Amino acid sequence: MIVIGEKINGSIPAVAEAIAKRDSDFIKERAKIQAAAHADYIDCCASVPESEEVETLKWMIDCIQEVTDIPIAVDSPSPRVLKEVFPYCKKPGIINSVSGEGDKIDIIFPAIADTDWQVIALCSDDTGIPKTADDRLRVFHHIMDKAKEFGIKPSRIHIDPLIEMLCTSEDGIAMVEEVMHTIREEYPDIHITGAVSNISFNLPARKLVNIGFTVLAMKAGLDSAIFDPTNRDLLGVVYATEALLGNDDYCMEYIEGYRDGLYGKQPAKA
Amino acid sequence: MSKIDEVAELVEKGRAKKVGAAVQEALDAGCDPNEILQKGMIDAMGVVGEKFKNNEIFVPEMLVAAKAMKMGVEVLKPHLASGATGALGKVIIATVAGDLHDIGKNLVAMMIESAGFTVIDLGVDVPIDKIIEAVNENPDVKIVALSALLTTTMPSLRDTVAALNGAPFRKNIKVMVGGAPITQEFADEIGADGYSEDAASAAVLAKKLVGAE
Repeated sequence: MIVIGEKINGSIPAVAEAIAKRDSDFIKERAKIQAAAHADYIDCCASVPESEEVETLKWMIDCIQEVTDIPIAVDSPSPRVLKEVFPYCKKPGIINSVSGEGDKIDIIFPAIADTDWQVIALCSDDTGIPKTADDRLRVFHHIMDKAKEFGIKPSRIHIDPLIEMLCTSEDGIAMVEEVMHTIREEYPDIHITGAVSNISFNLPARKLVNIGFTVLAMKAGLDSAIFDPTNRDLLGVVYATEALLGNDDYCMEYIEGYRDGLYGKQPAKA
Repeated sequence: MSKIDEVAELVEKGRAKKVGAAVQEALDAGCDPNEILQKGMIDAMGVVGEKFKNNEIFVPEMLVAAKAMKMGVEVLKPHLASGATGALGKVIIATVAGDLHDIGKNLVAMMIESAGFTVIDLGVDVPIDKIIEAVNENPDVKIVALSALLTTTMPSLRDTVAALNGAPFRKNIKVMVGGAPITQEFADEIGADGYSEDAASAAVLAKKLVGAE
């Protein structure tokens, strides 16, 4: 599982406050704890007006890069901001995100075509979030056609089939599962990602819903996810599920994660 | 770090894919093949067994270590005098009649093999006459190791040991027993030569029984 740590996002009030005050220690600390939890990428989202966004993101990237080598997932709703900011990162990371909406793909795909950058692509378009599996797959196929045009291999793409809240769904996660299955069948090398915690909006004890969803989604093909890697229970479930799915010979990764103190017993405080 | 220490570290960590190359490097550097086997592998497995006994590592970690050693031995074999890998002699191992459990028995077999024995594994649910026959076919066998995992198969273990004790070859072999419900007292009572409570101790016991430790 590719873990994209979600803790540095201006839509989180404490992070917004740190950004407003340019509290670099706060951002650095959040980068450090996600690195310690073995995040593969650290998401970096400013959530400020577009006019301030480039400068804000660059400041945040500086903070993160000062404390860890883990690559960054540059997160913005604006393709122009993304295009301007991503070359500022020391290492190739992930563009978060494009979709079938507007000119996002036309701006981002040519910009990353000749780089090692990866990209998260959402299955939504100008009509919003499609309601049916067929319509989401239609957007997906459009994205893949464009990717082919610019020579971006499926292995550089993280497709987000869009995880919506469970409490208003009529069929649980059946539709999203169907989308994941089809994507995985058509492109064995592609990454399928999603924002795990979306599933539990407006429900109590959200952690349990998030965990149940993650297990089922991994079975359906999810191999990349945006969540809080310092959530020990969820991270442990991810490692356990990898082993249960047969992706972890002799459970060595699972045991190693335990040894590294990622989950299970709290490590003794020195 | 010496080349042999590198091999030992890879065996301990169970890096099966890397051990072969490390053994080759040690050979290329002029290390004695027997020393690579003893210090790089058998001793390393001893460390692994010790850690397992102390609850520092889990069963799969012991499995991958043994697997890594096997990969290393593959590379080493052509350079060793014939028989060197099983230099401590032959061990016949079996789970007794009526008992189908093989995980513990396999672990013991692996650890004993890693300690330098040649293991003849008769499998699970093995009737008494098959064990007697195996000893007769291998007159140089040093140890018969028997496993029973259930309280209901303890009598079967008792019968098997009794049959061995009555066999003409008994003075030439040692009999060791183990399994979850087995105790030292039970082993003594049925006339076995030794008992151990886990796979790591079984390897130590086997060595002791043949006077190698």
